[in-house]
Amino acid sequence: MTLAETLSFLPYGQYALYIWLSYSITFILILGLFVRASINYKKIRIQLKNKYAREND
Amino acid sequence: MWKWIQKLASPKVFYETTNKLIPWFFWPFIVLIIVGLYWGLVLAPADYQQGESFRIIYIHVPSAWMSMLVYFIMAIVGGIGLIWQIKMAEVVAKVSAPIGATFTLIALVTGAVWGKPMWGTWWVWDARLTSELILLFLYLAYISLNNAFDNPKTAAKASSILAIVGLVNLPIIHYSVNWWNTLHQGSMFDDISNPTMHPDMLWPLLIMVFAFQFLYGVLALLNARDEVLIREQNSRWVRAVVTGDQS
Repeated sequence: MTLAETLSFLPYGQYALYIWLSYSITFILILGLFVRASINYKKIRIQLKNKYAREND
Repeated sequence: MWKWIQKLASPKVFYETTNKLIPWFFWPFIVLIIVGLYWGLVLAPADYQQGESFRIIYIHVPSAWMSMLVYFIMAIVGGIGLIWQIKMAEVVAKVSAPIGATFTLIALVTGAVWGKPMWGTWWVWDARLTSELILLFLYLAYISLNNAFDNPKTAAKASSILAIVGLVNLPIIHYSVNWWNTLHQGSMFDDISNPTMHPDMLWPLLIMVFAFQFLYGVLALLNARDEVLIREQNSRWVRAVVTGDQS
């Protein structure tokens, strides 16, 4: 029994594996872009705050 | 218009504008993606030849279109930065590269996953697939080149030249299905007034294309905002923004 047949109980039957795999990968990659932007946002502000604090000392 | 562009070339105005624009791109993206996904995955009928598997089109085609559009934008604004020395154009070009590379990767991966049940293989060295893979390499080369220099001006100059040279790949991707015998299907929109898709399938596709455009907009703005802070870190206004915790 192939993986596609095993997962055929999901919506879209015999194509469920391919459809959900495509959408999952897309979701993860797009989420990754947002997470990266959010991490950068915090990192850059902390980095700059520390730089300015050092300069004030 | 020219005055507005000149104004936007100021890093401070650019930063303030990106902050204001982010919600105007984020919320339309959310609404369009929900409507597009519901329409495409639930309401649209199955294809008479490909069955349910055709639903991959709703992410494959928008990401493939965006992979080319983002590259085009990256090369054009890179060129503007190169010719008119506008720093903010360099910023837009730089932050577009990882987003465009991700769209290209999504197009390649979803295409491979779609190809398996339809063609019986994940990959073929077909003209469309190969030229799209070259686009991914161009993005990666652009990112590497941009990170290879300490001076952002030199980095922008070198990578913009690469992006402009790489523009030649875009018509090759677009017309590859006409110029060569390919396993990949032909273009659905050769005649925009007479699309070969049923409206019930076409509308969700167009909605998803718009959703991906807004997605690019919001991601580019989020990243550009931070890139400006890094580049202008010695300016007084950046110090005020960071220490005053204004965002």
